[in-house]
Amino acid sequence: MSDRTAAQVRAESPAREAWRMFRRNIPALAGLVILSAIVLATLYGSFFYSGDAFDIVWAPHEPPGVTAEFPLGTDYLGRDIVAGLLTGGGPTLAVGAAAAAITMVIGITLGALAGFFGGWVDNLLMRITEFFQVLPALLFAMVLVTLFSPSLWTIAIAIGVVSWPQTARLTRAEFLKIKELEYVTAARAIGARNGRIMWQVILPNAAPPLIVSATLTVGVAILFEAGLSFLGLGDPNVMSWGLMIGANREYILDAWWPVTFPGLAIFFTVFSVSLIGDGLNDAFNPKLRSR
Amino acid sequence: MGSGFLLRRIGYGLLLMLGVVVLNFLLIRLAPGDPAVVIAGEMGGATEEMLASIREEYGLNEPLLVQLGIYIGNVLRGDLGESFFFNQPVAHLIALRIGPTILLVVTAQLLSIFLGVLLGVLAARRPNGVMSAFVSVFATIGYAVPVFWTGIMLIILFASVLPVFPVEGMTSVRLRDAAWYVQWLDVAHHLVLPAFTLAIIYLAQYARLSRASMLEVLGSDYIRTARAKGARERTVLFRHALRNAALPILTVAGLQFGNLISGALLVETVFNWPGMGRLAFDSILRRDYPTIMGVLFFASAMVVIANILTDWSYRLADPRLRGRT
Amino acid sequence: MSLLEIDQLKVTFDTRYGQVTALDSVSLAMDAGETLAVVGESGCGKSITALSVMGLIPQPPGKIAGGAIRLAGEDLTRASEARLRAMRGAEVAMIFQEPMTSLNPVFTVGDQIAEAILLHQDVPRDRAWKDAVALLERVGIPAAAARAQDYPHQLSGGMRQRVMIAMAVSCRPRVLIADEPTTALDVTVQAQIFDLLNEIQRDFGAAILLITHDMGAVSEMADRVAVMYAGRVIETGTADSVLDAPQHPYTRGLIGCIPSLDTAGDGLAEIPGVVPPLHLLGAGCAFAERCLHVRDTCRDTKPRLTEKAGHHVACFGAQEGWL
Repeated sequence: MSDRTAAQVRAESPAREAWRMFRRNIPALAGLVILSAIVLATLYGSFFYSGDAFDIVWAPHEPPGVTAEFPLGTDYLGRDIVAGLLTGGGPTLAVGAAAAAITMVIGITLGALAGFFGGWVDNLLMRITEFFQVLPALLFAMVLVTLFSPSLWTIAIAIGVVSWPQTARLTRAEFLKIKELEYVTAARAIGARNGRIMWQVILPNAAPPLIVSATLTVGVAILFEAGLSFLGLGDPNVMSWGLMIGANREYILDAWWPVTFPGLAIFFTVFSVSLIGDGLNDAFNPKLRSR
Repeated sequence: MGSGFLLRRIGYGLLLMLGVVVLNFLLIRLAPGDPAVVIAGEMGGATEEMLASIREEYGLNEPLLVQLGIYIGNVLRGDLGESFFFNQPVAHLIALRIGPTILLVVTAQLLSIFLGVLLGVLAARRPNGVMSAFVSVFATIGYAVPVFWTGIMLIILFASVLPVFPVEGMTSVRLRDAAWYVQWLDVAHHLVLPAFTLAIIYLAQYARLSRASMLEVLGSDYIRTARAKGARERTVLFRHALRNAALPILTVAGLQFGNLISGALLVETVFNWPGMGRLAFDSILRRDYPTIMGVLFFASAMVVIANILTDWSYRLADPRLRGRT
Repeated sequence: MSLLEIDQLKVTFDTRYGQVTALDSVSLAMDAGETLAVVGESGCGKSITALSVMGLIPQPPGKIAGGAIRLAGEDLTRASEARLRAMRGAEVAMIFQEPMTSLNPVFTVGDQIAEAILLHQDVPRDRAWKDAVALLERVGIPAAAARAQDYPHQLSGGMRQRVMIAMAVSCRPRVLIADEPTTALDVTVQAQIFDLLNEIQRDFGAAILLITHDMGAVSEMADRVAVMYAGRVIETGTADSVLDAPQHPYTRGLIGCIPSLDTAGDGLAEIPGVVPPLHLLGAGCAFAERCLHVRDTCRDTKPRLTEKAGHHVACFGAQEGWL
């Protein structure tokens, strides 16, 4: 009985310790606050601020701060920029999160198989990984999205398909390191099957770097989605920050605001995500903090 | 040092390129719809006659493996197909545009490595100093800014507020008949903003990386030896430390090259730079698949070549790797 | 006037436990052609002493808080950085503990020796290279001209230490500091390196400051010895006198564990415990906690060096004769 509680305490403490370190990291906390604010605004903003992002509601190119109704002005068609920012964040964040999830699933699966089994499995999977690293990611994603017609799902899948190699390499390295440790040998000795060792013994111990990597992947995926929508390859029926920049691109010399605010929104989202990622990294590796 | 290494590396690179060709082939076949229609492109206004000639050229009535053989054979002969939108061979389209892309990408790469390493080395001299703080903040910001948006912001700045650099295209029409060096300078002048836009993200990353790498190297025994010899601080930093700290930077530079090409795609679109990115964008909007596949092929080839050059320079920089396979 | 004179040197470091005194009133002196061994366990301050002479204490967190280091009468603690740079390698040169990591992996060994020559002598590059090859030959590296083109990783540990020695003597320094020059090497190679250092000393007339924890090395090399403990010199005198009649219990312990072939290493089987962390030092003798003969005086007051049995020792027991 007392043994079990001791084991539980031990199992909890690394995460708790990481959280304790994270809580003391001011930039990381700031990132968490900014990101929460952005997520809440995109989720619930429309309850407080009515208006469809696609509706033409006013004269085009109304500068910000002139009309109280449209605090950030209007774009080249006379659409409200605040409405665009509030509704455009949802798809960007959703695609970013989904793409990161897909990236992690593919990357972790292939990396774990390569690292765990080694030999020809490793060889084959690493050659495939190298092959995918040769394809310029954005271009390949553009091709995929165009071939399979753009929707939020195809975009998320395309981003996932082009971004997994780095995660795979990281997972493989972690698995190679951890599989040599005593507790893995011990699990083998009591007859645990490969699947169990991989997913229930090694993976939880490889979690810290993978969590950090997942966070940073969300940031990259958001930039990716923004780039695709900017090029006009997003779902044309869904407003997104990248699309707002792309659509107003021709008129930047007449009106700076329709492109500036969505860009700032993307920047602050990715910035806060990367602050969180850096904070997690520091929290999991206290020794590196002095750097 | 062994030319065997270089040959093996090139052989592997060619294998990777064969993979890209097969991938291109599969993508067209996997896309929904008749491959002939896909190849002709939605905007091509394909007639029945045209589709028949496409089926003939690509052997679309043959079994899949034969089709693949025909396709690979075509690529080996330098025939990447015909763009039905531009009404020109794809190889010709790309030949016209690959130069500007290489110019942009290589300039941005050199610029970001040079400035980034310089910043990182200066920061590493004082791990807790102002420069170090600046490098960390700059790196986090540089990572989070969408590259196309940086470009747009620079265009707004330089088009209206500070009109010292051209914000569009690669050449000035009025200089079409000027002497060659005037034209070269004109291209360089046009290159400033796109190259800087593209460089700035990676510059930040190289600065952070080289700072960390320098800090590690500066703590090593051979740096103490160099100081004990009576070497100047500048010599210690740039001769003894940087040569060693450069190794991880080189690795990342190689890995980043693919991302750099992706970034170039966006930057070319923003600045109307007449390169492959611009071509990719135009052909994707027109669903001109032969051209898209051609761009994918050449962009991948650039990455493969960059990787070979990286591996090779890595061996030049690190004598411990020479003589090994 | 001695060639090198360390006079009441005090060095402090800022650590997260506050300021600690790494060296406390350390005084040493050596004449030309003489070998002085500084002995002690890791953490006793012997390497800090060596780095202080080189002017290579990292500042901050380190600081020379008092005393002087005089090279032929010139106080190095007051010298400019430019003067120190001209001195390093030319007048005082150093050989480090780890030949594996002390050579820069990306330059050939010939280049690294030639660099030391070019830094201090106004000679053309090809001349420096020829001198480097000659030095490699002098330190007993076969086929020196070819080996000069090698990178450090292509040489064995013993060869690399020979390269370090060649580099150190390249400008005929007056003082050669050897910081544990053989610790990382095989026992058979250790003897060869000691022989080489003795030969070099005869040929070049340099004074050698040998930093070591190995009493065997002392008996083979040293004219005089200074035993250090927790940042202080606790016993010093001629090598014969200290080895034959050690006064301090710590020195006795060290001599009791001269490593034979099978017990080489850091552990001091004869003395229980380890050197106390510097920030935990009290008012008394730093060795008190490990000393089998400890009395109350030892815990309250720091003993000073006084003469005893033909040399100097800082121990109440030895001084008062109740040991």
